[in-house]
Amino acid sequence: MTLSHYLVLSGLVFTIGLFGVLTRRNIIGILMSIELMLNAANINFVAFNRFLYPGQYIGHTTVIFIITLAAAEVVVGLALVMAIYKNLKSVYVEDYNILKG
Amino acid sequence: MTETIIFYMLSAVILLSALGVVLLPGLMHSALCLGLCLAGVAGIFASLGSDFIFAAQILVYVGGIAVLILFVVLLAANASEKMTRQISEAWLPSLLICSAFFWAFLKVTRYFSGLSAQTAPSPSVKAIAALLLGEYAVPFELISIVLLASMTGAVLFGRRKAE
Repeated sequence: MTLSHYLVLSGLVFTIGLFGVLTRRNIIGILMSIELMLNAANINFVAFNRFLYPGQYIGHTTVIFIITLAAAEVVVGLALVMAIYKNLKSVYVEDYNILKG
Repeated sequence: MTETIIFYMLSAVILLSALGVVLLPGLMHSALCLGLCLAGVAGIFASLGSDFIFAAQILVYVGGIAVLILFVVLLAANASEKMTRQISEAWLPSLLICSAFFWAFLKVTRYFSGLSAQTAPSPSVKAIAALLLGEYAVPFELISIVLLASMTGAVLFGRRKAE
């Protein structure tokens, strides 16, 4: 196994997540696609740490921080989604225009 | 040889379930595919020899985030979404943007192609603990404040309005 195998895999997962963020109409689907993109970045961190810096673990530490931040992000994001859903009764992003003043 | 077979099987699982997350019309199916995809990424971490990240991925992502998203899907979804269109009409420019991004990504990472691992993976928990409690102690404490703030924010947004 070479490094480029893992890089191509993570690039594909990131691209799929990017496509989801750009095209999903559902806000929960967009949040799930963001999780895919974060996971692709995690694969990259661990693969670079394994292939370029064996014996050091800074990439692993960064991945732990990313996982924690992703958990915090999804908690706040889903709480916001539920708060908006209680008011607007819709999960589609084109209906979310309550900030227009 | 076994490593190669396992890598391609995990890649197939990850890519197919990621496509399912993005393309399936029903949100419930998307959330289940997301759990499968996160478990496959955990398998990739295990095949890269990072044991602690593997355990953290299973615990936090598959056990926490996927289940949380499933709960929200159960609370906020309705049955009519399988009939309505779930992909916006701007899918063709998005596809062009994504292919341009992937092409650029391949160009950038071509520099690293053909690099293979020299050493066997070793247990990493002790070294990660030394980093987290030594050199990275301040970010480690800051991230706990971030978690506390996000928990408080979720409670604030989620509570009922005072009558």
